Formats: sequence, C-alpha cells, structure tokens
Amino acid sequence: MVAAVTARLCRLALLLVLLSLPSAVFAHRDDEYLQATLVVIEPDDIRLQINITPGIAVAEQVIAVIDRDRDGAISTKEAAAYAELLKRDLTVRLDGRKSELKLTASEFVPPDELRTGSGIIQVEFSASFGPLAAGPHRLSLENRHLPAMSVYLINAARPRFATVEITRQKRADNQSVGEIEFTFHPFRP
Amino acid sequence: MVRSVAGLSLISKTRRKRKRWSNLPTAMFKRQGLRMGDLTKPRREAALAVLAAVLSPHGYEKILQIVEAEEVLGKSSGRTMFGRDEYYISFLGQPSTTEPWMIQFGGHHLGLNVTLAGEQGTVAPSHTGAQPAIYEIEGKTVRPLGRETDKAFALLSSLNEAQRKQAILDFQMRDLVLGPGRDGQTIQPEGIKGSALTEKQREMLLDLAGEWTGIMHEAVAAAKMDEMRKNIAETWFAWSGPTEKGSAAYFRIQGPTVIIEYAPQRLGGDPTKHIHTIYRDPTNDYGAKWWQR
Repeated sequence: MVAAVTARLCRLALLLVLLSLPSAVFAHRDDEYLQATLVVIEPDDIRLQINITPGIAVAEQVIAVIDRDRDGAISTKEAAAYAELLKRDLTVRLDGRKSELKLTASEFVPPDELRTGSGIIQVEFSASFGPLAAGPHRLSLENRHLPAMSVYLINAARPRFATVEITRQKRADNQSVGEIEFTFHPFRP
Repeated sequence: MVRSVAGLSLISKTRRKRKRWSNLPTAMFKRQGLRMGDLTKPRREAALAVLAAVLSPHGYEKILQIVEAEEVLGKSSGRTMFGRDEYYISFLGQPSTTEPWMIQFGGHHLGLNVTLAGEQGTVAPSHTGAQPAIYEIEGKTVRPLGRETDKAFALLSSLNEAQRKQAILDFQMRDLVLGPGRDGQTIQPEGIKGSALTEKQREMLLDLAGEWTGIMHEAVAAAKMDEMRKNIAETWFAWSGPTEKGSAAYFRIQGPTVIIEYAPQRLGGDPTKHIHTIYRDPTNDYGAKWWQR
C-alpha cells in the first residue's frame, strides 16, 4: 500500500517537474506524436517496423489510450489492444490489393518513461501477400493513427537481398501516406 | 593522460550500455558516467583533455561551442537543467592501445560516441545539435553548426535544374529518421547520386560530410575521408524544404559507410536556430567491426 502511494507520489512529482519546465525552449518535440515507419520488403515477407515517440505534452493522452486500467503499467493485454488500435488505422496495399496485418513484435516502455519524451514504443506488423511475383510492384501505406497530434515518417528499409530493388518512393507532404515502387528479381544472384 | 583519468569511471563494455545515449536534456534522460559539474577543476580539465586528444581541433571546438550554446540556453531560460555542468563523460571497456574501448560524452544536444581500437577510431553514431544555433560571446558570433549549414547551401546552389529535381524531395522531413535509438536501421537512399554530380560537386559533398567525420582526430578522419571518396559515386545527397540560403531545410548524405542527417526543429520558435544532426556508419557504428575481432 505504502509502496503504491509512494510510486503514485513519484509519478505526480515527475509530472509536476515536467509541467514546470519551459516547453518552448525544449530541444525535442513535446506536443507531437512521432510515428516513424520503416517498411522492410523481403521476397517472402513485408514488415512495418513502427517506432512511436510521444512528446511530453501529449504523453498523458497517449498513456490514457494505452494504460486502460490506469494502474501505471502497460500489461501484455493493454499492449496488444493498443497494437490492434494502431493496426486498424493502417492500410497497406500491394498492387492495389489490401493486406491483413499481423502483429509480429512489440515493445512498450513503462508509462513513466513515455512521460519523459524519450520513451519509444516499437511495434512490428507483417503484411501477408504470399510469395512475390517476379517484376515490378507498388506498395502503398496509409497511416491514420491519431492524426491531430502526429508527425509521420515513412521510409523503405534498404533491402537485405539483391533480389529486391527499390525503384521509387513517394509520400504525401506530411508523410501520412507513402508509396514504394520496387522490382522483384527472383533469379538475381 | 588517458591512463590518469581511466579510474574515474570504468564501465563494462556491454552492447546495451554503449547504445544507451540520447540528445535529450539530462533531466529527462539520465546519463551514465561522470557529471562535469561534479568534477573538481583539475578533473574537469583532465576530462576535456581526453576529448581534445581524441578529437580534431575543429571537432573539439565544435563540441565546446555546442556545450556553450547550452550555457546560453540555461542563462536565457533561467533553468539550471541547461548548462555546461550538465554534460557527462564515461568510459566503456578498458582503455587500451590495442583493444577497442569507448568514450561517451554528452548531454543536451550532444551524444558523442568515440570508439578507439589501436590506430583506428570512429565517432559514429553521434548526435550534434544546437539551440541556439547562433549566439554571441564577448561580441563574437558563434555558430556551432555554421560550417555544415553554409556548405550544404553552397552544394545545393551549385546544382543545376535537372540535378535539383533529383536532389529535392517533395515532402516534409520533420525530424531525423535515424536519430538516437535507431541503431541497426538502414533506409533506402534518395535524392541525387554522387555519380550524377560533377567532380567539383563531389568534392563539396565530401567536404560537407567531413564536418561530421572530421570531428575525430585528423589521422582517423583522413582514413574515413579516403573510404568515403572511394564510395563517392554511390553516395547520395537529398534535400527537403526551402532552398533560400539560410532557411530551415533538412538534408541527408547517405553512402555505403556514412549516413548524415541535418534536421531543423520547429520547437523554440525559429527552426534555423534549433538544429539536430546525426552521423552514422551503417558498417561500423560503435566500432562494431573491431569488437568482433
């Protein structure tokens, strides 16, 4: 009981410290939710590796969405529920065909770390399209997750295999939508 | 001289620890090692002497100017969380003339990761930044990242229309893609390829990249420059944002053994006065090659 109260006091003290800091002079984003997506294209798999960093000013809103029971910890169930929420806001298409996303990995730092503005939530989804056909392809990604507070980055990862060649990347001005053109050369050594 | 300060803070060389660094203020991201503000004057001088020994004169000057910008920020904001006392130095591994070991020095806007291995060394990955990116001390204007900024605009202005069309990205880059915490990630290069630049422009690109790789001691920096020169045809330059000289624009240099990003930040008002940059070597961050020997 005492430990729980102490922990609560510590959280409040941290919050007070953070709120008393002059946000205008901070050298990091504080009012934005940075969602940086790396799109990994491999012959038998396409993965979205999403690094999410809430700024201090939006961290409480984000934590409220994730830590549903408000116990100051992110349980496996809460992490899965948030990943599901994020998944619903993502649309991935390969050559116009929409794909189902499957959560393959996630790592949630504790809420106290998110409140510092340095905590990163990492979520990875796999898009199942089946084996790639030889030739050119177009992958599109749309991220509609928490648009009012978010800043987006979308980048193709440099392919690990010579059989995948990224030929072009296009993004909307704010990078909430991106398109990656690539060619699959199955017989390239 | 290194031996005399080695006992100050010796930290085991674990991968987890060497990756534990940030550009955030120390009040938000606790650093490992010794706080400069807690050191006696002789020890503080010894710590700075270590940096001066492993860095080039202009690299050392740049680091001091970044730290001094923080002092200016501290005074202008009235907050003690900013200032030259809030930088930390730590040593990872056993200082050695043959085996790899590391020096980390950092605080707000600075994350310097120096790996030394005998005659070799690297400063990748490192974050340099400044807020304010321009200030005055005793009537002298100081721009810690001024050369980077000026050289980038000079390179951009040297491009012809067709080259600009390739180099300039038509979307916003609001932040670093491969900043602190993005270890091991490599992105597909974009912009204009070195092979599409003239000889003079290639030299300008190398000279610009040298602002980061040249933070290290000259002997190490020269070896790195040779390596980048060999790869120049495969090195890309990308630009996002306005092109008027002195405006707030993002740029990226990416080659087989180098990734550099420069990203003005909106926070604090004028983004030209608040800069974040990162330098990485996708083949040798933290001297990965040498630890594997």
